[in-house]
Amino acid sequence: MLLQFQKGDIVRHLGLLDLQRTMQRALRRSNLPVAYSKGFNPHMVMSFASALSSGIAGDAELLDVSLSGETTEEECLAAMNRVLPPALQASRVRLVDDRFPKVSAALRTVRYRITLHGGEARRIAEDVPAFLAQEEIMAVRKTKKSETLVNIRPMIHELTAEVDEQADTAVLEARVSFVEQATLKPDLLMEALCAHAQAELPRCEIRRTQLLGEVDGQPVPLIDL
Amino acid sequence: MLKEKIDGLLDRVQKPARYMGGEMNAVLKDPDSVAIRYAFAFPDVYEVGMSHLGSRILYDIINKREDALCERVFTPWVDMADLMRQENVPLFSLETRSPIRGFDMLGITLQYEMSYTNILELLDLAGIPLHSEDRTWDDPIVIAGGPCAFNPEPLHHFIDAFSIGDGEISTLETIDVVKACKAEGVSRQECLRRLSRLRGVYVPSLYEASYNEDGTLKSFEPTEEGVPRTVVKNMVADLDKAEYPESVIVPFMEIVHDRINIEVLRGCTRGCRFCQAGMIYRPVRERSVEHILDLAKKLIDETGYEEITLSSLSTGDYTCLPQLAHELMERFAEKRVALSLPSLRLDSNLKQTLEETQKVRKSSLTYAMEAGTQRLRDVINKGITEENLTSSVGDAFASGWSSVKLYFMFGLPTETLEDLDGIADLASKVVRKYFETPKSVRAKGLRVNCSASCFVPKPFTPFQWEPQDTIEQFEEKQKHLCHIMHIKGVEFNWHEPQVSFLEAVFARGDRRTADALEAAWRLGCRFDGWTDQFRFDKWMEAFAQTGVKPEFYANRRREKDELLPWAFIDAGVTQQYLWREYERAVQAQTTPDCRKGCQGCGLKRFEGACEGR
Repeated sequence: MLLQFQKGDIVRHLGLLDLQRTMQRALRRSNLPVAYSKGFNPHMVMSFASALSSGIAGDAELLDVSLSGETTEEECLAAMNRVLPPALQASRVRLVDDRFPKVSAALRTVRYRITLHGGEARRIAEDVPAFLAQEEIMAVRKTKKSETLVNIRPMIHELTAEVDEQADTAVLEARVSFVEQATLKPDLLMEALCAHAQAELPRCEIRRTQLLGEVDGQPVPLIDL
Repeated sequence: MLKEKIDGLLDRVQKPARYMGGEMNAVLKDPDSVAIRYAFAFPDVYEVGMSHLGSRILYDIINKREDALCERVFTPWVDMADLMRQENVPLFSLETRSPIRGFDMLGITLQYEMSYTNILELLDLAGIPLHSEDRTWDDPIVIAGGPCAFNPEPLHHFIDAFSIGDGEISTLETIDVVKACKAEGVSRQECLRRLSRLRGVYVPSLYEASYNEDGTLKSFEPTEEGVPRTVVKNMVADLDKAEYPESVIVPFMEIVHDRINIEVLRGCTRGCRFCQAGMIYRPVRERSVEHILDLAKKLIDETGYEEITLSSLSTGDYTCLPQLAHELMERFAEKRVALSLPSLRLDSNLKQTLEETQKVRKSSLTYAMEAGTQRLRDVINKGITEENLTSSVGDAFASGWSSVKLYFMFGLPTETLEDLDGIADLASKVVRKYFETPKSVRAKGLRVNCSASCFVPKPFTPFQWEPQDTIEQFEEKQKHLCHIMHIKGVEFNWHEPQVSFLEAVFARGDRRTADALEAAWRLGCRFDGWTDQFRFDKWMEAFAQTGVKPEFYANRRREKDELLPWAFIDAGVTQQYLWREYERAVQAQTTPDCRKGCQGCGLKRFEGACEGR
């Protein structure tokens, strides 16, 4: 079962482990025929298509759960929404064959909506075309072990900006790579953009709005693959 | 605007899930649809407070009313509290992130003395005046209950009304009164007056204390007609008729007791003389097996939890425990639900029950021996013997347990070095028992965790007249214990005597200790129960500033005829009974469990108590 759910604003600080535990308990309460692993300490066979960092909200996150019995998509959706708290409601269920490769393996790009607040939001937004016009954008990617200089330009597939003059905010819509060797985190994108615009990093809210795979070079929602 | 500000703060603190709300089964009600908005506070962090059963019961009871809603609040950890002050964010509720000051009532549960500074912290963060007399109808009515309310005096200045005894009753009755007062538009003072007339409710501003030259209490009287001289505790006579939650909040973050918790009985009649809970929660009342099974089913369905704990002061005393454990295991095995049984006493006939529960999960076993020798156990009336311990751990080791916890106290009345040596002796005997168990049946990895805490004399116990050991005495005894507790396979832990000393001051403190408490909080004391936050130097500074002598409260022997600050409360057990028990204690005479014959503790005066006995 592929369950598409939101990680709402009020629970955006949930970490992966807390979210995992919450989903397990919801699955137990749902009475859906969830499959358990064999072995001494059986556990549910489930995984997230992609872990979402603490602090980031999500509109269409994906949980992959193995089922061991007959059910329907409608039944699953209703059962899960009965037991999930309001901030984690599900929007879609798709039942797929177990032979289906792990859904996370098909992930190619993701979309983020980044809302910038404050005086410099506008200037940053207006800098987007010039930022994208660069052939190469070098940025420092930090991991626990090392810092490496990488060109992030090829990882940015789409980036648009819209300014809301009244609210003193700007909204960026970005589609970026999300594969093993080339994942562009939204904070690194923001860092590079602000550096280019010569602006301070503003307060921003980040939502992940879509998880995408690819068919014939075109982005397709992961759940539809 | 406030909600956005709060959201911004959550990016900057540790464990934001503490302040997040939005959990499964949290109750969200429309504030405009109710007459009374009740904020319920546990004065510690979320993961501690969410583990408290009483708060869960009251949250449920209030939210079951159509005319009221209840939202939760906990003391923000120091990082969050500092940020809130810096950013001018007032204390807010988890459910709707509304300012606490705007609620009609604020209930605070008093579970341990070392949370008192956190109450001042809560009030201050909420923008509620610290002192009852400075509050207006712009502030909630601040009510506190729980075991520490049996000596409410150290908090008299900060709390509008205390609820004494089982909370199910006065929580609802106080809501009725406040609702009526608000509807009628009467003064806050009049509202407090009406509250004082409810059974089990104490309104400190309507009483006055005077003191003798030697510092002892001279008189304690109501200041006006119609205010009761004696406040009688509330008691729920029949647990099966009391409301119990059939659905509970399931936190996102891991909390201390992260499981379903069903209270199987309330009260304890063993009569351990150091134990305040065993005295103030009398009489014993059991929930029926059918009721518990029904609750278990509903709670499993509603929460998705994988573990149930049967809680009480002494779960082994539950009459039908073997039958209950068996039924629970059988009914919920398929759902992979584990059962845990805390607070077991060694002398209960438990072998089979233990074998039942271990089918699903094996946890460590805890034995509260409390004292090292039979003589001292007789003094404190802890009716267990060395033979009980060794045969029980023998059974446990033979059934595959390998982890055992032993709890002791030191600084008990009449204690000598011999009693301390007894602690090491018992620990060694447990280790020996393990090695006597055949290798083929015992589990690997013996762990004997032995901990000794400093005895704190509590009100409404036979030891309420006793001095506590001084910090120096405790430290000397601790040194001795550390020396003799070097036993292979045994890990020894002890508690800081400074914390226990302060606990003793506030457990038996009078009104004057309130000033020291406030001074300590102003000096920055909070989360005193947390070792990394505890600042003994600041506390001593606070005592010096206010002229309060802590030794007067902790280390002084009280005479039989001294007027005790909590004597105006009728806790069920009478002062005569407590004194009788005290006299038996110093002669090392035991008193049998009152289920085997009434000991005249005073509870029979209460309607519906001790029925069928």
